[in-house]
Amino acid sequence: MTRVAVVTGAAAGIGRAIARRLAAAGDTIVAVDIAPGVHDTADRLRETGAVAVRADLTEAVGLEAVRDAIRGIDGHLGVLVNCAGITRDARIVNMAAEDFEAVLAVNTGAAYQLTRLLVPDMVTGSAIVNISSRAYLGNFGQFNYSMSKGALVGMTRALALDLAPGIRVNAVAPGLIGTEMVMTIPEEIRDRMIAAIPAGRMGTPEEIAEVAAWLASPASSYVTGTVLIAGGGRSLTR
Amino acid sequence: MPLRVPEHLVKAFRDAGVTAEATVFAASDGLGDEWEETVAELRAAFQVTQAALQRGSPVVYVVAGDDLLGRRGPGRAMVACGLLSAARTAAVEGARAGVPVNTLAVEADTPPATVAAWVARLLEPGGPTGELVRLGTAHLGKALP
Repeated sequence: MTRVAVVTGAAAGIGRAIARRLAAAGDTIVAVDIAPGVHDTADRLRETGAVAVRADLTEAVGLEAVRDAIRGIDGHLGVLVNCAGITRDARIVNMAAEDFEAVLAVNTGAAYQLTRLLVPDMVTGSAIVNISSRAYLGNFGQFNYSMSKGALVGMTRALALDLAPGIRVNAVAPGLIGTEMVMTIPEEIRDRMIAAIPAGRMGTPEEIAEVAAWLASPASSYVTGTVLIAGGGRSLTR
Repeated sequence: MPLRVPEHLVKAFRDAGVTAEATVFAASDGLGDEWEETVAELRAAFQVTQAALQRGSPVVYVVAGDDLLGRRGPGRAMVACGLLSAARTAAVEGARAGVPVNTLAVEADTPPATVAAWVARLLEPGGPTGELVRLGTAHLGKALP
Protein backbone atom coordinates (compact mmCIF):
# COMPACT_ATOMS: atom_id res chain seq x y z
CA MET A 1 0.00 0.00 0.00
CA THR A 2 1.35 3.41 -0.92
CA ARG A 3 2.48 5.93 1.68
CA VAL A 4 0.52 9.18 1.53
CA ALA A 5 2.36 12.39 2.31
CA VAL A 6 0.51 15.62 2.99
CA VAL A 7 2.54 18.74 2.21
CA THR A 8 1.12 22.18 2.99
CA GLY A 9 2.41 25.32 1.33
CA ALA A 10 3.03 23.18 -1.74
CA ALA A 11 2.27 25.79 -4.41
CA ALA A 12 5.78 27.22 -4.38
CA GLY A 13 9.17 27.38 -2.75
CA ILE A 14 10.15 24.91 -0.05
CA GLY A 15 6.76 23.20 0.10
CA ARG A 16 6.75 22.50 -3.63
CA ALA A 17 10.30 21.17 -3.48
CA ILE A 18 9.37 18.86 -0.61
CA ALA A 19 6.35 17.57 -2.51
CA ARG A 20 8.54 16.80 -5.52
CA ARG A 21 11.22 15.15 -3.40
CA LEU A 22 8.79 12.90 -1.54
CA ALA A 23 7.01 11.97 -4.77
CA ALA A 24 10.34 11.00 -6.28
CA ALA A 25 10.85 8.66 -3.32
CA GLY A 26 7.54 6.96 -4.03
CA ASP A 27 5.02 8.80 -1.86
CA THR A 28 1.58 9.77 -3.06
CA ILE A 29 1.36 13.49 -2.43
CA VAL A 30 -1.57 15.50 -1.18
CA ALA A 31 -0.42 18.98 -2.10
CA VAL A 32 -2.16 21.71 -0.11
CA ASP A 33 -2.10 25.46 -0.50
CA ILE A 34 -4.39 28.45 -0.62
CA ALA A 35 -2.66 29.62 -3.80
CA PRO A 36 -3.81 28.30 -7.20
CA GLY A 37 -0.27 27.16 -8.02
CA VAL A 38 -0.95 24.04 -5.95
CA HIS A 39 -2.76 22.60 -8.96
CA ASP A 40 0.38 22.97 -11.06
CA THR A 41 2.43 21.22 -8.36
CA ALA A 42 0.05 18.26 -8.38
CA ASP A 43 -0.31 18.22 -12.16
CA ARG A 44 3.44 17.81 -12.56
CA LEU A 45 3.31 14.85 -10.18
CA ARG A 46 0.15 13.36 -11.62
CA GLU A 47 1.77 10.10 -12.72
CA THR A 48 2.61 9.42 -9.06
CA GLY A 49 -1.03 9.86 -8.07
CA ALA A 50 -0.66 13.31 -6.50
CA VAL A 51 -3.76 15.34 -5.77
CA ALA A 52 -4.18 19.03 -5.06
CA VAL A 53 -6.25 20.60 -2.33
CA ARG A 54 -6.71 24.33 -2.61
CA ALA A 55 -7.76 25.34 0.87
CA ASP A 56 -7.52 27.96 3.57
CA LEU A 57 -6.14 26.05 6.53
CA THR A 58 -7.22 28.71 8.99
CA GLU A 59 -10.81 27.58 8.37
CA ALA A 60 -12.35 24.31 9.53
CA VAL A 61 -13.70 23.59 6.07
CA GLY A 62 -10.19 23.85 4.65
CA LEU A 63 -8.81 21.41 7.18
CA GLU A 64 -11.61 18.94 6.50
CA ALA A 65 -10.98 19.18 2.75
CA VAL A 66 -7.46 17.86 3.36
CA ARG A 67 -8.73 14.94 5.41
CA ASP A 68 -11.34 14.12 2.78
CA ALA A 69 -8.70 14.10 0.05
CA ILE A 70 -6.52 11.68 2.02
CA ARG A 71 -9.41 9.32 2.61
CA GLY A 72 -10.05 9.26 -1.13
CA ILE A 73 -6.62 7.71 -1.77
CA ASP A 74 -5.86 4.01 -1.57
CA GLY A 75 -2.96 4.27 0.84
CA HIS A 76 -1.97 4.99 4.42
CA LEU A 77 -1.17 8.42 5.81
CA GLY A 78 2.50 8.25 6.76
CA VAL A 79 3.84 11.79 6.45
CA LEU A 80 2.62 15.26 7.30
CA VAL A 81 4.79 18.24 6.38
CA ASN A 82 3.54 21.53 7.80
CA CYS A 83 5.18 24.07 5.51
CA ALA A 84 2.52 26.71 4.86
CA GLY A 85 3.75 30.08 6.04
CA ILE A 86 3.52 33.81 5.49
CA THR A 87 5.41 36.90 6.57
CA ARG A 88 4.11 40.34 7.54
CA ASP A 89 7.30 42.06 8.66
CA ALA A 90 7.58 45.23 10.71
CA ARG A 91 9.40 46.38 13.82
CA ILE A 92 7.28 45.48 16.82
CA VAL A 93 6.72 49.12 17.71
CA ASN A 94 4.97 49.58 14.37
CA MET A 95 3.42 46.15 13.93
CA ALA A 96 -0.30 46.13 13.13
CA ALA A 97 -2.51 43.81 15.17
CA GLU A 98 -3.92 42.21 12.02
CA ASP A 99 -0.42 41.35 10.82
CA PHE A 100 0.32 39.69 14.14
CA GLU A 101 -2.90 37.70 13.94
CA ALA A 102 -2.46 36.62 10.31
CA VAL A 103 1.04 35.25 10.80
CA LEU A 104 0.17 33.34 13.97
CA ALA A 105 -2.98 31.91 12.39
CA VAL A 106 -1.25 30.53 9.30
CA ASN A 107 2.20 29.63 10.55
CA THR A 108 1.22 28.02 13.83
CA GLY A 109 -2.54 27.74 14.20
CA ALA A 110 -3.14 26.02 10.87
CA ALA A 111 -0.25 23.62 11.42
CA TYR A 112 -1.49 22.72 14.88
CA GLN A 113 -5.12 22.29 13.88
CA LEU A 114 -4.27 20.20 10.82
CA THR A 115 -1.96 18.01 12.85
CA ARG A 116 -4.61 17.41 15.49
CA LEU A 117 -7.11 16.51 12.80
CA LEU A 118 -4.85 14.10 10.93
CA VAL A 119 -2.99 12.32 13.73
CA PRO A 120 -5.81 9.82 14.36
CA ASP A 121 -5.45 8.69 10.74
CA MET A 122 -1.67 8.27 10.92
CA VAL A 123 -0.19 4.81 11.22
CA THR A 124 2.62 3.63 13.48
CA GLY A 125 5.93 4.61 11.94
CA SER A 126 4.61 7.89 10.60
CA ALA A 127 6.53 11.15 10.67
CA ILE A 128 5.52 14.77 11.07
CA VAL A 129 7.93 17.43 9.85
CA ASN A 130 7.28 21.04 10.80
CA ILE A 131 9.01 23.69 8.73
CA SER A 132 10.03 26.31 11.27
CA SER A 133 12.64 28.96 10.53
CA ARG A 134 16.04 30.06 11.73
CA ALA A 135 14.11 33.17 12.80
CA TYR A 136 12.99 31.23 15.87
CA LEU A 137 16.37 32.26 17.25
CA GLY A 138 15.41 35.92 16.76
CA ASN A 139 15.35 38.17 13.71
CA PHE A 140 14.92 41.92 13.33
CA GLY A 141 11.49 43.02 12.12
CA GLN A 142 9.89 39.64 12.60
CA PHE A 143 8.37 39.57 16.09
CA ASN A 144 5.23 37.84 14.79
CA TYR A 145 7.08 35.45 12.48
CA SER A 146 9.71 34.60 15.07
CA MET A 147 7.05 33.94 17.70
CA SER A 148 5.05 31.79 15.29
CA LYS A 149 8.04 29.69 14.34
CA GLY A 150 9.14 29.37 17.96
CA ALA A 151 5.66 28.19 18.85
CA LEU A 152 6.00 25.63 16.09
CA VAL A 153 9.16 24.39 17.77
CA GLY A 154 7.26 24.08 21.04
CA MET A 155 4.52 22.16 19.29
CA THR A 156 7.16 19.88 17.80
CA ARG A 157 8.65 19.04 21.19
CA ALA A 158 5.30 18.48 22.92
CA LEU A 159 3.90 16.29 20.17
CA ALA A 160 7.13 14.33 19.95
CA LEU A 161 6.55 13.37 23.58
CA ASP A 162 2.79 12.87 23.24
CA LEU A 163 2.92 10.75 20.08
CA ALA A 164 5.97 8.60 20.86
CA PRO A 165 6.75 5.86 20.12
CA GLY A 166 4.38 5.52 17.17
CA ILE A 167 4.86 8.85 15.41
CA ARG A 168 8.04 10.91 15.20
CA VAL A 169 7.81 14.71 15.18
CA ASN A 170 10.67 16.95 14.13
CA ALA A 171 11.27 20.44 12.80
CA VAL A 172 13.52 22.01 10.21
CA ALA A 173 14.66 25.60 10.67
CA PRO A 174 15.76 26.89 7.27
CA GLY A 175 17.89 29.98 6.95
CA LEU A 176 17.89 32.24 3.90
CA ILE A 177 16.50 30.14 1.09
CA GLY A 178 16.14 31.30 -2.50
CA THR A 179 12.37 31.09 -2.67
CA GLU A 180 10.11 33.38 -4.67
CA MET A 181 9.36 35.23 -1.40
CA VAL A 182 13.03 35.85 -0.60
CA MET A 183 13.86 36.91 -4.15
CA THR A 184 11.52 39.89 -3.71
CA ILE A 185 14.00 41.34 -1.18
CA PRO A 186 16.09 44.07 -2.85
CA GLU A 187 19.35 42.62 -4.21
CA GLU A 188 21.51 44.97 -2.16
CA ILE A 189 19.91 43.78 1.09
CA ARG A 190 20.07 40.16 -0.01
CA ASP A 191 23.78 40.53 -0.73
CA ARG A 192 24.34 41.85 2.80
CA MET A 193 22.45 38.90 4.22
CA ILE A 194 24.43 36.45 2.13
CA ALA A 195 27.69 38.02 3.30
CA ALA A 196 26.87 36.79 6.83
CA ILE A 197 26.37 33.20 5.71
CA PRO A 198 29.49 31.05 6.01
CA ALA A 199 28.27 28.90 3.12
CA GLY A 200 28.57 32.03 0.97
CA ARG A 201 25.16 31.72 -0.66
CA MET A 202 21.46 31.26 -0.10
CA GLY A 203 20.17 27.73 0.29
CA THR A 204 17.87 26.18 -2.26
CA PRO A 205 14.39 24.79 -1.66
CA GLU A 206 15.75 21.44 -2.84
CA GLU A 207 18.35 21.42 -0.07
CA ILE A 208 15.63 21.91 2.55
CA ALA A 209 13.56 19.23 0.83
CA GLU A 210 16.42 16.78 1.33
CA VAL A 211 16.45 17.49 5.06
CA ALA A 212 12.67 17.16 5.32
CA ALA A 213 12.70 13.94 3.28
CA TRP A 214 15.32 12.47 5.61
CA LEU A 215 13.27 13.36 8.68
CA ALA A 216 10.23 11.80 7.00
CA SER A 217 12.07 8.60 6.16
CA PRO A 218 12.96 5.50 8.21
CA ALA A 219 16.60 6.58 7.87
CA SER A 220 15.93 8.97 10.77
CA SER A 221 14.01 6.41 12.82
CA TYR A 222 15.76 7.31 16.10
CA VAL A 223 15.27 11.07 15.71
CA THR A 224 12.31 12.83 17.31
CA GLY A 225 11.63 16.15 19.01
CA THR A 226 14.57 17.86 17.40
CA VAL A 227 15.06 21.06 15.45
CA LEU A 228 17.49 20.77 12.59
CA ILE A 229 18.86 24.16 11.56
CA ALA A 230 19.69 24.32 7.86
CA GLY A 231 21.11 27.78 7.45
CA GLY A 232 24.56 27.47 5.95
CA GLY A 233 26.15 28.28 9.31
CA ARG A 234 24.38 31.64 9.67
CA SER A 235 23.55 30.99 13.33
CA LEU A 236 27.24 31.18 14.19
CA THR A 237 28.29 34.47 12.66
CA ARG A 238 27.81 38.05 13.92
CA MET B 1 -1.13 46.51 32.92
CA PRO B 2 2.59 45.81 32.38
CA LEU B 3 2.94 43.53 35.41
CA ARG B 4 1.06 40.35 34.49
CA VAL B 5 2.13 37.83 37.06
CA PRO B 6 0.33 35.39 39.38
CA GLU B 7 -1.01 36.85 42.60
CA HIS B 8 1.44 34.90 44.76
CA LEU B 9 4.37 36.64 43.06
CA VAL B 10 3.17 40.22 43.42
CA LYS B 11 4.46 40.79 46.95
CA ALA B 12 7.80 39.18 46.12
CA PHE B 13 8.13 41.45 43.11
CA ARG B 14 7.38 44.48 45.22
CA ASP B 15 9.93 43.39 47.82
CA ALA B 16 12.53 42.93 45.08
CA GLY B 17 11.95 46.44 43.82
CA VAL B 18 10.23 45.45 40.59
CA THR B 19 8.13 48.50 39.92
CA ALA B 20 4.72 48.69 38.28
CA GLU B 21 6.40 50.41 35.34
CA ALA B 22 8.42 47.32 34.52
CA THR B 23 6.93 44.90 32.02
CA VAL B 24 6.81 41.34 33.26
CA PHE B 25 4.65 38.80 31.47
CA ALA B 26 4.24 35.41 33.11
CA ALA B 27 2.73 32.71 30.93
CA SER B 28 -0.52 31.51 32.43
CA ASP B 29 -0.21 28.19 34.20
CA GLY B 30 -3.82 27.26 33.51
CA LEU B 31 -3.61 26.91 29.75
CA GLY B 32 -5.07 23.94 27.91
CA ASP B 33 -4.36 22.68 24.43
CA GLU B 34 -6.97 24.61 22.45
CA TRP B 35 -5.50 26.92 19.83
CA GLU B 36 -7.79 29.79 20.83
CA GLU B 37 -6.29 29.78 24.33
CA THR B 38 -2.78 29.61 22.95
CA VAL B 39 -3.15 32.50 20.55
CA ALA B 40 -4.95 34.61 23.16
CA GLU B 41 -1.94 34.24 25.45
CA LEU B 42 0.53 35.07 22.67
CA ARG B 43 -1.61 38.04 21.65
CA ALA B 44 -1.56 39.37 25.21
CA ALA B 45 2.22 39.09 25.23
CA PHE B 46 2.45 40.92 21.90
CA GLN B 47 0.31 43.77 23.22
CA VAL B 48 2.27 44.34 26.43
CA THR B 49 5.60 43.96 24.66
CA GLN B 50 4.69 46.41 21.92
CA ALA B 51 3.58 48.95 24.52
CA ALA B 52 6.78 48.40 26.51
CA LEU B 53 9.10 48.89 23.58
CA GLN B 54 7.19 51.95 22.44
CA ARG B 55 7.99 53.61 25.76
CA GLY B 56 11.47 52.09 26.07
CA SER B 57 10.68 49.80 28.98
CA PRO B 58 12.56 46.53 29.55
CA VAL B 59 10.65 43.25 29.39
CA VAL B 60 10.92 39.86 31.06
CA TYR B 61 8.85 36.85 30.15
CA VAL B 62 8.45 34.17 32.81
CA VAL B 63 7.74 30.65 31.58
CA ALA B 64 7.85 27.15 33.00
CA GLY B 65 11.06 25.31 32.16
CA ASP B 66 9.08 22.14 31.56
CA ASP B 67 7.07 23.89 28.86
CA LEU B 68 10.16 24.86 26.89
CA LEU B 69 10.74 21.14 26.41
CA GLY B 70 7.10 20.29 25.73
CA ARG B 71 6.60 18.27 28.90
CA ARG B 72 3.12 19.60 29.74
CA GLY B 73 1.36 19.50 26.39
CA PRO B 74 1.39 21.44 23.14
CA GLY B 75 -0.62 24.46 24.28
CA ARG B 76 1.79 25.44 27.01
CA ALA B 77 4.78 24.49 24.87
CA MET B 78 3.66 26.72 22.02
CA VAL B 79 3.27 29.63 24.41
CA ALA B 80 6.59 29.12 26.21
CA CYS B 81 8.63 28.57 23.06
CA GLY B 82 6.76 31.31 21.20
CA LEU B 83 7.58 33.74 24.00
CA LEU B 84 11.23 32.72 24.02
CA SER B 85 11.56 33.35 20.28
CA ALA B 86 9.63 36.61 20.54
CA ALA B 87 11.91 37.78 23.35
CA ARG B 88 14.96 37.08 21.20
CA THR B 89 13.54 39.17 18.36
CA ALA B 90 12.36 41.96 20.66
CA ALA B 91 15.86 41.98 22.15
CA VAL B 92 17.37 42.46 18.70
CA GLU B 93 15.01 45.38 18.06
CA GLY B 94 15.51 46.92 21.50
CA ALA B 95 19.27 46.57 21.55
CA ARG B 96 20.09 49.86 19.84
CA ALA B 97 18.04 51.77 22.41
CA GLY B 98 19.50 49.75 25.28
CA VAL B 99 16.20 48.09 26.17
CA PRO B 100 16.74 44.54 27.45
CA VAL B 101 14.25 41.76 26.77
CA ASN B 102 14.84 38.43 28.48
CA THR B 103 13.17 35.16 29.41
CA LEU B 104 13.20 33.46 32.81
CA ALA B 105 12.31 29.79 33.04
CA VAL B 106 11.22 28.57 36.46
CA GLU B 107 10.12 25.36 38.12
CA ALA B 108 6.92 24.82 40.08
CA ASP B 109 8.76 24.99 43.38
CA THR B 110 11.02 27.94 42.61
CA PRO B 111 10.56 30.32 45.58
CA PRO B 112 8.78 33.58 44.68
CA ALA B 113 11.65 35.61 46.11
CA THR B 114 14.06 33.84 43.78
CA VAL B 115 11.83 34.50 40.77
CA ALA B 116 11.50 38.13 41.73
CA ALA B 117 15.23 38.59 42.28
CA TRP B 118 16.05 37.18 38.88
CA VAL B 119 13.35 39.24 37.18
CA ALA B 120 14.74 42.37 38.80
CA ARG B 121 18.20 41.46 37.57
CA LEU B 122 17.01 40.78 34.01
CA LEU B 123 15.18 44.11 33.86
CA GLU B 124 18.30 46.15 34.59
CA PRO B 125 19.36 48.50 31.80
CA GLY B 126 22.80 47.58 30.56
CA GLY B 127 22.34 43.98 31.66
CA PRO B 128 22.02 40.93 29.47
CA THR B 129 19.46 40.92 26.68
CA GLY B 130 17.97 38.19 24.52
CA GLU B 131 18.93 35.70 27.20
CA LEU B 132 17.21 32.69 28.68
CA VAL B 133 17.93 31.96 32.33
CA ARG B 134 16.75 28.55 33.51
CA LEU B 135 16.32 28.08 37.26
CA GLY B 136 16.24 24.74 39.01
CA THR B 137 17.79 21.50 37.88
CA ALA B 138 15.20 19.78 35.66
CA HIS B 139 16.85 21.17 32.51
CA LEU B 140 20.31 19.85 33.26
CA GLY B 141 21.59 17.55 30.56
CA LYS B 142 18.54 18.22 28.39
CA ALA B 143 17.97 20.02 25.10
CA LEU B 144 18.82 23.69 24.68
CA PRO B 145 15.53 25.45 23.77
